[in-house]
Amino acid sequence: MAPFKRVLVANRGEVALRVIRACHEEGLEAVAVYSDADRLSPHVRAAHVAVPIGAAPAAESYLDIAKLIEAARTTECQAIHPGYGFLSERAPFAEAVTQAGLTFVGPPATAIQAMGDKTEARRRMQAAGVPVVPGTTRPVPDHVQAGAEAARLGYPVLLKAVAGGGGKGMRLVRDEAELESAFQGAESEAMKAFGAGELYLEKYLDRPRHIEIQILADTYGRVVALGERECSIQRRHQKLIEEAPSVAVTPALRRRLSEAATAAAGSVGYLGAGTIEFLLAPTGEFYFLEMNTRLQVEHPVTELVFGVDIVREQLRVAQGQPLRVHSGALQPRGHAIECRITAEDPFNDFLPATGMIRYLQAPSGPGVRWDGGVEAGNEVTLFYDPLLAKLIVWGDTRAAALQRMRRALRELVIVGIPSSQAFHLRVLADPDFQRGDVDVTYLERVGERLLAAELAPELIQPLAIAAALLAEEQRASAAAAAPPTAPPPARPSVWTLAARRESVGG
Amino acid sequence: MKYVVTIGSQHVEVEVVGSRVLVGGKALEASLAAVPGTPLRHLLVGGESWTLAADPAEGPGRWALGVVGERVEVEALDERAREIQALAGKRPAPAGGRTVKAPMPGLVVRIEVAAGQPVAAGTGLVVVEAMKMENELRAPQPGVVATVHVEVGQAVEKGAPLVTLASPEASG
Repeated sequence: MAPFKRVLVANRGEVALRVIRACHEEGLEAVAVYSDADRLSPHVRAAHVAVPIGAAPAAESYLDIAKLIEAARTTECQAIHPGYGFLSERAPFAEAVTQAGLTFVGPPATAIQAMGDKTEARRRMQAAGVPVVPGTTRPVPDHVQAGAEAARLGYPVLLKAVAGGGGKGMRLVRDEAELESAFQGAESEAMKAFGAGELYLEKYLDRPRHIEIQILADTYGRVVALGERECSIQRRHQKLIEEAPSVAVTPALRRRLSEAATAAAGSVGYLGAGTIEFLLAPTGEFYFLEMNTRLQVEHPVTELVFGVDIVREQLRVAQGQPLRVHSGALQPRGHAIECRITAEDPFNDFLPATGMIRYLQAPSGPGVRWDGGVEAGNEVTLFYDPLLAKLIVWGDTRAAALQRMRRALRELVIVGIPSSQAFHLRVLADPDFQRGDVDVTYLERVGERLLAAELAPELIQPLAIAAALLAEEQRASAAAAAPPTAPPPARPSVWTLAARRESVGG
Repeated sequence: MKYVVTIGSQHVEVEVVGSRVLVGGKALEASLAAVPGTPLRHLLVGGESWTLAADPAEGPGRWALGVVGERVEVEALDERAREIQALAGKRPAPAGGRTVKAPMPGLVVRIEVAAGQPVAAGTGLVVVEAMKMENELRAPQPGVVATVHVEVGQAVEKGAPLVTLASPEASG
C-alpha cells in the first residue's frame, strides 16, 4: 500500500479514459494499452505512455494477463487499474498483479474469489445476516435434484450459473415441465460463458426493482455506503438507464440497505469501490443478489448526488490513504440519471451496429456530463462491448433531471451508425417511467410498444421538406457533373453512376 | 421539381420551386444550408429552425435523417424516378424476393429454416453470434425460403447473403 506515481490502465474505450482522467487529477501518470483496433482511440491519446498489446480480439490483447503485466513492467508502472469488464473480476489477474510486485487498484483477490462464486457469496451473506433470495446455497447436481428443490421453493424459479453474471447461464422456469430442458440450456450456456456449468436455484420474485448500494472501503477499517442506484431499466439483464436516488427508497430503507451492504463488504475484507446488488420486492423486503467487486459502469450517478469522485477514491485507497468522504450520515443531494449510449439499433431488435462514426456532437451545458470513449473518425467494431458513451445529467429534483436528460438527448448527434439514443427518448417520454413506476420487467412489458410508437407528427413536414431539398441538391450536382453536351468525364462521379443506373432502370 | 417523400407509412408531396416549397397546398420559404465541416444541414422553413444530420442510405433518394435525437429513414423520388420504379414492376423491397444479409461479421450458430419453407414476417431465419451475443435474423416480410446461403459454423462478413426469400406468390 505504498504511494505510486504511474498507473497502467488495463482497459479501453470509455472506462479507460475515465480512469486516465482520474489519474491526472490525482497527479499520477497514466499508461494506456491498446489493441490493433484501437491505435487511434481517445484513451490512447489521453495517456502519457501507450503500449501496443496485440491483435484486435480481446483474448489476444485486453484479456492477456502476461502481456499486461509485461507492459506495466517495461513502462515502470507501480499499479494497474482494471476498469470494468475484461479482467476486472478475475481473481487470478489480481493475484498475478500483486505477485509481480505491483498494486492492484481494487479489492484483494480473496474478496473477488469469494464474491465470484455465487453460492459461496450467498452462504457468506447469510452468515453475515444479510437477507438472500430464497434458494439453494449449494450447486444442484442435476435436474432431478433441481426438481426437488424447486418443489420446495415453489414455482416460478430461476436457474443461475454459480460462476455467472450478466444473465448468461440463467433460465426462468415457470413449471416442472420446463425444468429439464431449461437445466440443460443453462448448463451449456454457463459452460460456454464461464467454463463452469454448475447451477443453483433461486425463487423467482415477482416484479422486483434492481437496487444497488455503492460502497467504498479503506485500509483504516472504514466502510462507507454511498446510497443506492435504481437500475431496473434492463434489457436481457443489461442495464440501459440508471438513476440515483431511487423513488422507491425512503431514508429508513436506505439506512437498512446501507447496513446490509457494509456488512456484506466487511465480511469479505473488502477494499476500494464495490457494489452490492439487491432485489427490492414491492412489499419493501430486499434480498442480496450479488456483489460486483469492481468499479461499476453506472458509478457517475452516485458521484453526482454525493459529490464524490469514486475513481479518485479508488486510487487513494490503493495507495494506503484514507477515504476523503466525510464521516456522518450521507444523504444524496438532487437527482442524477444515466443513459447508456450504445451502438445498437433499437428499431432492429438491438442488433449491434458497426461502422465509422462520421460525426459526433456530444451534449453540453448545465448539469450535463458526457463520459465517452469514441470520437468522430473512430471505427466501431464487433470485437468489443457496444458501449459508446454514457450521458449523465444532474437536476435538483427528479423531474428537473428528466427534463434535462431529454434536452441533452436531443442535442446529441451521432452520424454513421445507429445508436440507442432514440430508445432513451421514448422511455423518458413514457408516463410510467416518469412516475418512477418501474421494475426489472418494465422493458419486457412496454419496450415494444414504446419503439413502435409513431414519429411525432410535427416532425413529418420538416423531414419531408429536407428530403426534397436534398434530392434537389443531388439532381443539381448530377447535372453539373455530367452536362448533356460535355464529353464524359475521365472518372465518372458517383452521382453520374447513380444517374446512369437510374436511366437503365436498375 | 415535384417529389414524393416517403417517411415510414406516410407519403408527402413536396414541390421545390426556386427558394420556395409547396407542401400541403401551402407555399413556404425554405433553405437548406450545409454546416461546413459536418454532415449537418440547417433547414429554415417558414421561419422555423431545424438542424438535421444527413446520412446517405442505400438507393437513390434515400437518407437516414437525424433530428431532435430521432433517426428516420426517408426516400425522396421525383416523378421520373417513380415511373422507373413503377416500370421495373416488382421492386426488390416489399413485394418481390429479398435476401437477408449479415448485418455484422460473425459466426453462424443456427439455421432455423430450410429451402422451400414458407415463412411469416418475423420468423427466425438464422442465428449469428457476434460479440458473444446471439442475434436472430428474422424474415422482414412473408415469403418462401428460396436459398439458404450459409451453413452452421461458417464465419460470415458484414453484408454476406444469408437467406433469400421469394415472394409467396412467385413461382421461383
